[in-house]
Amino acid sequence: MKLTLTLNGKSRAIEINANDKLSDVLRLLGCASVKTGCHEGACGSCGVLLNGRIVNSCLTYAAQADGGNVETVESIGSLDAPHPIQAALVEAGAVQCGFCMPGMIMAAKSVFDKNPAPSDEELAIHLDGQLCRCTGYEKIQTALRNVAQAAGVPDALVGGQGDRS
Amino acid sequence: MKLIRYHRPTTLEEARRLLKELGPSGLPLAGATSHAFMKGDDEKTAVDLAWLGYDRIATIDGGFTVGANTRIADLQQYHAPGWVLDRVALRFVNQPIRNMTTIGGNIARVFPWNDFPVVLLALGADMIVTGEVEAVHPADTYFKGQPARLFQPGDLLTEIRVPAIVPGVGFGYHKETVVNMAFSALTLAVRLTLDKRMIADVRIAAGAGIPLPARLTAIEQALMGRPISTETIQQALDAQVDAVTWKGGDGFSDAYVRQLARVHLEDVLIEAWQAAKGGAA
Repeated sequence: MKLTLTLNGKSRAIEINANDKLSDVLRLLGCASVKTGCHEGACGSCGVLLNGRIVNSCLTYAAQADGGNVETVESIGSLDAPHPIQAALVEAGAVQCGFCMPGMIMAAKSVFDKNPAPSDEELAIHLDGQLCRCTGYEKIQTALRNVAQAAGVPDALVGGQGDRS
Repeated sequence: MKLIRYHRPTTLEEARRLLKELGPSGLPLAGATSHAFMKGDDEKTAVDLAWLGYDRIATIDGGFTVGANTRIADLQQYHAPGWVLDRVALRFVNQPIRNMTTIGGNIARVFPWNDFPVVLLALGADMIVTGEVEAVHPADTYFKGQPARLFQPGDLLTEIRVPAIVPGVGFGYHKETVVNMAFSALTLAVRLTLDKRMIADVRIAAGAGIPLPARLTAIEQALMGRPISTETIQQALDAQVDAVTWKGGDGFSDAYVRQLARVHLEDVLIEAWQAAKGGAA
């Protein structure tokens, strides 16, 4: 069957099988940022935005995305001109091995797209599902708090630590 | 399991016709998040239900109607007086999965650890199955066994009617997991109705710690008609908690789950009591 979608702002088409997962097809389409870690929706490293929502592309059939709008981290910044989320992560030293970062960044983008100044709690809820085995999350949280504060939210309105237990 | 074909019907009639024609090789496709756990080489033809509609929440007399294709994330983000499924949704796996899974998918086939059967049993919801006629199945009937027994070929779950929590009624909920996104080790839900200080009605349901989600009727009966107090709750639980056969798993012994249930049943009953008398829960 033929899959047609908007990928990172460009219309793309590709022949797929019904059983193909979106993660595999995105990699075939050149999005090497999409990593498959667990293949069961636990790690988040395959996270992409499908119609504005963060999803596990390893669980999503490519056919389900037919006609949809898919965004991967390739669309939102470069080494020379990083997205504010990417710049904040680098500034805070929040990136170590980097495997989780494409999913983490896209999950964060899904929050900031709706609310430029989310609370810590809101970020924790929406980043639940993005595992990082290097940083312990503190620096990631600091970086994203800095993005929220840069958007103008007063310190007092930034909420307490989210519960990731 | 392997998908060999994919259909995207846009009307309920078309979806029903396809599923009828396909028979056992047809697979109604909801969020697809459980497919990673479906092993084997069965070849299936997917009938994607996502384009049929039935994906909205609306108020109706006495409660809410929830389309079966409503994503868990939409339950999480919906807020209205008497609505409690946002709390339940927030404890559901993680955000990407909440963005994909539908409430219909969570209750069309029941596993011991599924969250929503427990809650819908406690709330006394109704499930609407649409076939040649529209059938209304109360939760007590729907979850008595696997719901598949209630479906004729081509029938689809289309709607869930959820009673609102009104003044004098309280809701309590607890889900115990090893880590936030893990399958539940024990899920408990309570809807408690007070008439002044008397327990006029109580519905208690459990999942994960028992073979399939079910109401805990022996404990309910020990509470009904009695004056509400911590002592009443403790006495009912001490007398009846062993009327349930608690089941361990994932490293938990049966005895541990029984103790977990004893502790958290008291917590959720007190939570529902506080909410019924106008507390914060």
